[in-house]
Amino acid sequence: MTGTVVFWLIVAVLVIVLLYLIGIYNALVGLRNQVKNAWSQIDVQLKRRHDLIPNLVETAKGYMKHERETFENVTRARADATGARGVPQIAQAESRLTEAISRFMAVVENYPELKANENFLALQEELSSTENRIAFARQAYNDAVLFLNNKIEMFPSSIIANMFTFSREAFFEMEDASERTAPKVSFS
Amino acid sequence: MFWQVIASNRRKTVLLIIAMGVVLAALGFFLGEAVGIWSQYTTFSAMSEGDGAAGEHKAGYIGLGIAVGFWAVLLLVSLLGSDQLFLSLAGAKEVTHDMYPQLHNVVEEMRIAASLPVLPKIFIVDDPAPNAFAVGKGPKNSAICVTAGLLALCDRDELQGVVAHEMGHIANRDVLYMTVAATMLGAVTIIADTFLRSLRYAPAARYRSSGSRGGKGMANLWLLLAAFLFVVLSPILSRILYFSISRSREFLADATSARLTRFPDGLASALEKIMLSPERLTTAPQAAAPFYIANPYKQDLDGGMFATHPPLAERIRILRSMHKGASLKDYVKAYWEVTRTRKTLLAASDMELGRVIEKRGPSPKDTLREGAPDSSARKAGDIMRAMNDYVFISCACGMKMKVPPEFTRGNVRCPRCNREHMIGEADSNALAAILTATAAFTRNANHSRPLSATGRQTETPQVEQRKPGTWQTVKCSGCGRGVQVSPVFNLSRVTCPTCGNAIEFEGEKESFL
Repeated sequence: MTGTVVFWLIVAVLVIVLLYLIGIYNALVGLRNQVKNAWSQIDVQLKRRHDLIPNLVETAKGYMKHERETFENVTRARADATGARGVPQIAQAESRLTEAISRFMAVVENYPELKANENFLALQEELSSTENRIAFARQAYNDAVLFLNNKIEMFPSSIIANMFTFSREAFFEMEDASERTAPKVSFS
Repeated sequence: MFWQVIASNRRKTVLLIIAMGVVLAALGFFLGEAVGIWSQYTTFSAMSEGDGAAGEHKAGYIGLGIAVGFWAVLLLVSLLGSDQLFLSLAGAKEVTHDMYPQLHNVVEEMRIAASLPVLPKIFIVDDPAPNAFAVGKGPKNSAICVTAGLLALCDRDELQGVVAHEMGHIANRDVLYMTVAATMLGAVTIIADTFLRSLRYAPAARYRSSGSRGGKGMANLWLLLAAFLFVVLSPILSRILYFSISRSREFLADATSARLTRFPDGLASALEKIMLSPERLTTAPQAAAPFYIANPYKQDLDGGMFATHPPLAERIRILRSMHKGASLKDYVKAYWEVTRTRKTLLAASDMELGRVIEKRGPSPKDTLREGAPDSSARKAGDIMRAMNDYVFISCACGMKMKVPPEFTRGNVRCPRCNREHMIGEADSNALAAILTATAAFTRNANHSRPLSATGRQTETPQVEQRKPGTWQTVKCSGCGRGVQVSPVFNLSRVTCPTCGNAIEFEGEKESFL
């Protein structure tokens, strides 16, 4: 009599533990998908920025006749950013691009006619909006990564994570400190 | 996301629907009874004398049935189409990205920050009072509406704060609750109002209910009194119910705004501008008052029982005292500090205690550009005019004319240079016209004088062949802009409105003037 009770108790405990482990696994998968989704949000905005830059440069070229170096810097930084693979490399290339753009914008200050060009103004608004979007999307991505990494490292979910080889994801860090606190294109 | 808030909003929506159903049913019953008694004492008194006990509350049950049916219809309406209803009541018009890129971009930024799945629809109300509201059923189906006055007064950061506040209402599912509640409240108010009004014109039956009918007459009289009391009280009751719950939402939406934008000062300064603005919203339906970011009817300086919003000054003080960061925890701390209470605004599980959200600085001046008070007031006005079928005509002398749709004559004379313009054939694409008009305006405000002073026009001018008597567009060699001249333009030289480059015309001239 007591034997069957003990047996069923053990079975019950095992079932509960199994359900718990399945729950952890599903939570991990959910978090990983969240990270992927958040990354795709960033990716969309980075692409948008890459698409805007040639237009911006093209518009500015008519006015800024003697700034070849600035243009080349921006174009090179953009090419690097488009070619970059992997989160840390992309982050690095993108922060270089941000820097190049803000230097470009500083030069624009010397060309009041360009600053009054409606086409340029519209592009500038789109660009600064894109920078903001990247900043906000990055925030969401880093949140998702933090949750995932915590789950992977913390006991008991770490056991499941190791069993099914969930790997930690890298944060998307922009290097420039001012860029980190303020999502902006700096013009001054 | 505030999961606790979202769950409680769901609960409250269901509760409110039921409570309003009960109120409506009772209202219907009492009204039916009242009408029944009324007719008893006036026209049908002879017939109803013979009715038994079963028929005693017949009119009441009919009223109840009607009320429940009405409630069901209301429920359907509020769940299916009330957002559209409120938008059209407020006179809102949808804007596209091309019409107002900045507003569109700001909403998109906040959508990303709040990680909502779908971009809310964006509307503008043509009203000089600065205000904003959100409606919808949930994150997948929502709309944000701002007034032209808000666009005119606020710079980019402030606009962002306001939009984030509305985004907070959407993300926390406040919108569904508020939409349902407002529809129900509106209905109860309308029914009670109609009844009270009809009372005034009803025959003076009361005087005939003298003692001859004995106990039954007295009972009926009491019932009539109860009905009357209930009719008077029900709108007030539902309003208290409604408003009491909508106030803490404003604090939560402010907290969300600070967290999303990481810049509480943006919203604070927008609220300051709203508070100081002398304009009052004329387009807001009364029942929709809680939708708005600040109460459109009075400024809630005291925050009494009927206040839909907490006092603006208090909200501003809280936002301004978020010194350390922009997280929800920081907002709650500032809230405690300012109100000197320890009221729980948020469940601990929603506070994201471990999160540190740094504040950011204000955006650089150049990106705030469109918020300059004069230019953007004009721009917001122009957008409204374009949506209201105004025709925009740019005269060759630089004058911009905005012709209202009521103007029926086919032509108009420029008030500055007396050139004649054909309406209709002119810029029929009003939008394109505004975009150029506003861009030209910004330029006029900033740079046109210094430009001509640099002597740009003394360079070798661009020469073009003029086709007389037609609209003609020539490409400016300086900036690539298309410069359009009207059929009546008969001067030999035009200045590019963008870069000030001079363009000379060759060929025959047709004389119009």
